[in-house]
Amino acid sequence: MPMFIARRLSAGVLLLFVISLLSYLLLSLPDLDVARQLLGNSAGQAAIETKNHELGLDRPVMVQYTDWLAHALRGDFGTSWFSGEDVTQAIMNRLPVTASLMICVTLVTAVVSLLLGVWAGVRRGAVDRVVQVLGVAGYALPGFLVTLVIVVVFAVQLRWFPAIGYVDLGESFSGWLSTITLPVLSLSIGSIAGVSQQVRGSVIDVLRQDYVRTLRARGLPSSRIVFRHVLRNASAPALSVLGMQFVSLLGGAVLVEQIFGLPGLGSMTVNYTTRGDIPVIMALVVFTVIGVVLINLLVDILIGWLNPKARTA
Amino acid sequence: MNEGEGRVNAPSTVRRGALGRLARNPLGLVSAAVLALIALAVLLAPVLVSQPPDASDLRHAFAGPSGGHPLGFDSAGRDIWSRLLYGGRTTLSGALISLAVSLLLGVPSGLVAGYRGGRLDGLASWIANLVMALPAMIVLLASRAVLGSTVWVLMVVLGVLVAPAFFRLVRGIVVQVRGELYVDAARVSGLGDARIIARHVLVVVRGPIIIQIALVAGIAIGLQAGLEFLGIGSGDTPTWGAMLNEAFQNIQRSPALMLWPGLALGLTSGALVLLAGALRDVLEDRTGGGSGRARRRAVPVPAAAPVPADTVPADPADAASADPAAAAAEDHGPAGRATLLSVRGLAVGYRLPDGSDREVVHDVDLDVAPGEIVGLVGESGSGKTQTAFSVLGILPEGGRILRGGILLDGQEVVGLPERRRRALRGGMVAYVPQEPMSNLDPAFTVGSQLVEPIRVRLGLSRKQAVQRALDLLSLVEIADPERTFRSYPHQISGGMAQRVLIAGAMSCEPRLLIADEPTTALDVRVQAEILELLRRLQREHELGVLLVTHNLGVVADLCDRVAVMREGRIVETGTAEQVLHAPADPYTRTLLEAVLDHVPAREPWQPRKVVVP
Amino acid sequence: MRKYASTVTAALVLALSGCAGAQGGPESGTSGAPTTLNIATLTKTTSMDPATAVGSGLPFFQPVYDTLIKREPDGSYSPMLATEWAYDDSNTELALTLRGGVTFQDGTAFDAAAVKANLDRFKKAGGPDAANLAGLKSVEVVDATHVKLTLERPDPGLLFYLSDSAGLMASPAAFAKADELKTKPNGTGPYRLDGAKTVIGTKWVYTRRSDYWGAKLPYDTITMSVFDNETAIVNGIKTGQIDTAVLQDVGQQAGIKSDPGVTVADYPFDFQGLLLFDRGGKVTPALREAKVRQALNHALDRETMLSAIRQGRGEITAQVFGPSSTGYVKELDGRYPYDPAKAKALLQEAGYGDGFTMHLPRITAIVNDALAASMQTDLGKVGVKLVWDQADTSVMKKIFIDREYSGMVMNIGQSSNDWIVVRTLVLPGTFNMFGTTDETVGKLVAEIQGKSAEAAKADFQELNTHLVEEGWFVPFFRMTNLLVSDKDVKAVPQAGMAVPSIYNYAPA
Repeated sequence: MPMFIARRLSAGVLLLFVISLLSYLLLSLPDLDVARQLLGNSAGQAAIETKNHELGLDRPVMVQYTDWLAHALRGDFGTSWFSGEDVTQAIMNRLPVTASLMICVTLVTAVVSLLLGVWAGVRRGAVDRVVQVLGVAGYALPGFLVTLVIVVVFAVQLRWFPAIGYVDLGESFSGWLSTITLPVLSLSIGSIAGVSQQVRGSVIDVLRQDYVRTLRARGLPSSRIVFRHVLRNASAPALSVLGMQFVSLLGGAVLVEQIFGLPGLGSMTVNYTTRGDIPVIMALVVFTVIGVVLINLLVDILIGWLNPKARTA
Repeated sequence: MNEGEGRVNAPSTVRRGALGRLARNPLGLVSAAVLALIALAVLLAPVLVSQPPDASDLRHAFAGPSGGHPLGFDSAGRDIWSRLLYGGRTTLSGALISLAVSLLLGVPSGLVAGYRGGRLDGLASWIANLVMALPAMIVLLASRAVLGSTVWVLMVVLGVLVAPAFFRLVRGIVVQVRGELYVDAARVSGLGDARIIARHVLVVVRGPIIIQIALVAGIAIGLQAGLEFLGIGSGDTPTWGAMLNEAFQNIQRSPALMLWPGLALGLTSGALVLLAGALRDVLEDRTGGGSGRARRRAVPVPAAAPVPADTVPADPADAASADPAAAAAEDHGPAGRATLLSVRGLAVGYRLPDGSDREVVHDVDLDVAPGEIVGLVGESGSGKTQTAFSVLGILPEGGRILRGGILLDGQEVVGLPERRRRALRGGMVAYVPQEPMSNLDPAFTVGSQLVEPIRVRLGLSRKQAVQRALDLLSLVEIADPERTFRSYPHQISGGMAQRVLIAGAMSCEPRLLIADEPTTALDVRVQAEILELLRRLQREHELGVLLVTHNLGVVADLCDRVAVMREGRIVETGTAEQVLHAPADPYTRTLLEAVLDHVPAREPWQPRKVVVP
Repeated sequence: MRKYASTVTAALVLALSGCAGAQGGPESGTSGAPTTLNIATLTKTTSMDPATAVGSGLPFFQPVYDTLIKREPDGSYSPMLATEWAYDDSNTELALTLRGGVTFQDGTAFDAAAVKANLDRFKKAGGPDAANLAGLKSVEVVDATHVKLTLERPDPGLLFYLSDSAGLMASPAAFAKADELKTKPNGTGPYRLDGAKTVIGTKWVYTRRSDYWGAKLPYDTITMSVFDNETAIVNGIKTGQIDTAVLQDVGQQAGIKSDPGVTVADYPFDFQGLLLFDRGGKVTPALREAKVRQALNHALDRETMLSAIRQGRGEITAQVFGPSSTGYVKELDGRYPYDPAKAKALLQEAGYGDGFTMHLPRITAIVNDALAASMQTDLGKVGVKLVWDQADTSVMKKIFIDREYSGMVMNIGQSSNDWIVVRTLVLPGTFNMFGTTDETVGKLVAEIQGKSAEAAKADFQELNTHLVEEGWFVPFFRMTNLLVSDKDVKAVPQAGMAVPSIYNYAPA
């Protein structure tokens, strides 16, 4: 196991390096004209050139990248070109929001999808069809439509939850819970739609396995077979999907963060990327890739734990 | 992530009847019809609309439906119906472009990487991971800056970003298939790689790819709309995403604008998902072995009025009277029925999608006396396994007993509630399956799989159960019981696994053992050992054994009596000697003459569920 | 502020948390308890360094920084850090008398040297204020409380700038560390930025400074929250998390007006229009002809645009001067009625009877679908083919540096100060990047520069009329925004500014 983790981590480091390089190159492709954005449209050419020099943008891209890398390797991601805030600090400020969102959504998705998927897969028939239709609906409905409806119903009409804003967990648990509930609900729906279908499929798959028949032939109660054997074997594929879902949540979070006015990483990514604030974007890229690598590793370890055969692979 | 994108056991074929079966699947039919309708409407857009999608007259802004403008006007006074159809053109052809790009990139690379393996595979997989981890936002902005900001550029880039989904799917399946015998055989027979891929491998991945296509198309459509919302839009080209975005900007003024593009998007991607689901169901529908798929679980109680248990006599029309072997059966108990197992007039059927049943076992009579080994012989598909499953009460999904009775130790089990039926399994009657490896749960150690039924059935303490499991492992002549106890199924050999399964079957001291081709999957040397083991156990524990096999050699070796099955019927019953040396039925003679072993032992391809990213 | 509460949530929350914690949500405005004003906006400031400040971001700076001159809601000037100011006879020397005993947050005294340091820094930083202060030749420290500003030539806009971003005074002690002010603002203002609670880019939190020199503002805490769309803001106002905001979108305006819990006030500020840059015909030769520009003006159906796009919330106009300026001539609003036939005739006369093609950059935040499509339709009717180029990240460079476009559709704030209008739109520079001018304009600008605002009224009006007649621009309409506030908050619009100053809020 340690070997496996070490190998995966070193592959992850290589991935991180290549992605950071590619991102930097890609970022320098569009003419983002950062100096002009900073100085305004009335700025003269001389002022622009001075600013570009100050930012180091007059150097060749590879030089800029190596410079960035040298600093990044020491943990120094610099300061934002625009706001001047410390990049690491800025990300850390917003991480709790996005992390709360993603972890809660993943937990809710995992629990609900498991229940729905197993229920549908084992019972089949009408239950199955209802779960399938719900799944398709959740999948097919445009995300922001769902989010808007949720806001209008639960926040604006019923006033059960605030429509916008975020209260930090450290500040007040109840505040945190009330501000995070609707965003989590909005994001979970699509996610549950996808994962529950996967669980359902895996459960049906596993139920057809020979060993399930053999277990039945041994006289084990079906509830025991389902919850001990089927669930465990069906979890592995479901976990991969959940892992992917977690990663793609980053994208979905943008929308939800915008509609709920949450100060998270998703909206930060969009805003800073369109503006071309390279120090911030690069740090976001690094954090995201590290997150993705770690999540994938975690998923694989969990799958290995659930399915011993995968450990050798 | 893990490599398990596609798991495949054996070759699959998109059967010729797949389309036909899709047509019979109501969800599939409806979703295909919806998609066809949408495609048709979009193609015929110029005929169906009264003005071009960009024609704008502000005086009509937000106006309701009127002649020639069935859906009214949007915020710019443009005809919504026209924009919906023309937008659909862009959206759908954009999705097609994304699909084409990702297929073109993902499938060939997946095929080659999976087939060749090694460094090439490593490199390709790494690139796929790279693409998946690339920050999409940056890629999209950069490509827009370099390639221009049209919807087509966007969709091509999306296609590239989605390509790993196909790559991983295809590669996963091909890796599994590569090791399969028939691919080896093709290789040995000197076929070129390209031909092998085209002829054997492509066939396997075709099904999952078709399913994935439907899903990716839905994703591409959805993503395009999402990007529009984030301002990475299609410019002036009408798309459903652009329409939704425009509607969102006017949400306070006219929320109804959301309706049509939302509906179009929702319907299309919903129909695609449903179609994918239906395709999956159709493609994985395997009728081999009579396991027609239906949406019901096996029911122990026949839905069709069963013949009441105590009035099940040997059917007068039964072959018994005409068959000399039937006479022999009468030695085994009162009324000609054996005391351990006695089956009369058993019929097994499978529920077809149209609600009718397909009968696969007809009016079978069978008896096993205590301490007796009865062989149930027949070709694959003759219904012998279905008969065995009926006795155990573990018919697969959709299957049920239509008629007849089964006496186990004098008790009628047909119509018994599942709970009481279950009480008989493991204790009264136990099962030794055909394929050792697939019959052990890969997620648990051998030990825990042995301990579990012991604890549940016999109510022993954990410690006692462990001891008993170890004893059982010794009983089945496993050299190092402790080690095997701790092992996972994939860590032991096939012969060992079969011993473990026999130990499992013996764990609750059954009186009747049903062994379904217990040696077929093993190599010859191990076969002999397992047979010897069975024989010993039978003798020592005075077991009655129902041995399901197609191997007449095994029958000759082991059985006291033999029943020969063909096409769901017993054609001949008698002592082993009688049947083997003086077969009465012509079919038995044919069987004896053709002492071959050519029947494929395993069931075909089982597709896994396709991942919805 | 409405207290956000719900028994259902409360019960749920308590059940889940197992502790009786305080409800999350803004504090109510009852006496004694700390009071908070939650302002929401779509505009954000780049940083907290005054050198990066622009007028529209002023409310982010006002809590921390005072300006030299205060601008009242009606646009008039009143003392702030400067208590008196006077021009010499030539209008090229401005003498400021400074308030004594004022200190920056860091304890540094505010004095004439600090004013000089700030103004010099603005000029050097190259930002927006460098352009505003371009005519400032030198700053002379007379004594600790007196400073003299010398100009190259008279600048009727100077007092405005000193009441705007160029008047924001930061502690010179912070200048040494290059980027410090960006995140740690340091001024003489009534509040400090609460660095711990602030999430830059999303939410700025200011807490009261106890040793402020001036009158206390009514709120203990001010938060400025930035949103990406007005839907979130409207939802926030409806549910009580936001106290006040200015809404631009007419749909959102209509959506909130019916809410019984809010007070609304019309807030006219921007005009929307097509700014023609290429009056010399370098990119689009046709635009050299005044008749072509007039034709464009006649081709657009302003009334329909206003009613369809803005639900009639605004007034059509053909001039760039706003009603609060002295150069405004009411009759000019209707100078170009919708008349496609006349437009065609004018094009014919100018030799463009077959029409021409014009590319414009489309910035979707400004040019929505309705505007884009209707302009295409209206211009198309008279034979002018309008092509929208989707704006990408380099659009500003293409417009302002590469001069690839002959015009662009903009929302321009209508300053109460006539000179600002002239400087931004008429003089060669930002929005006149091709540097076009004519004799009349040159003569009138020279006249105006030497006179006081009141004296120049006739000249401004003459200039305005000339610009309209020559079709320098194609303005569409003035837009009415809506200042929305919670019933507990009284907010007053600020003339010539997109959003109210922070001094304009008080408990109702």
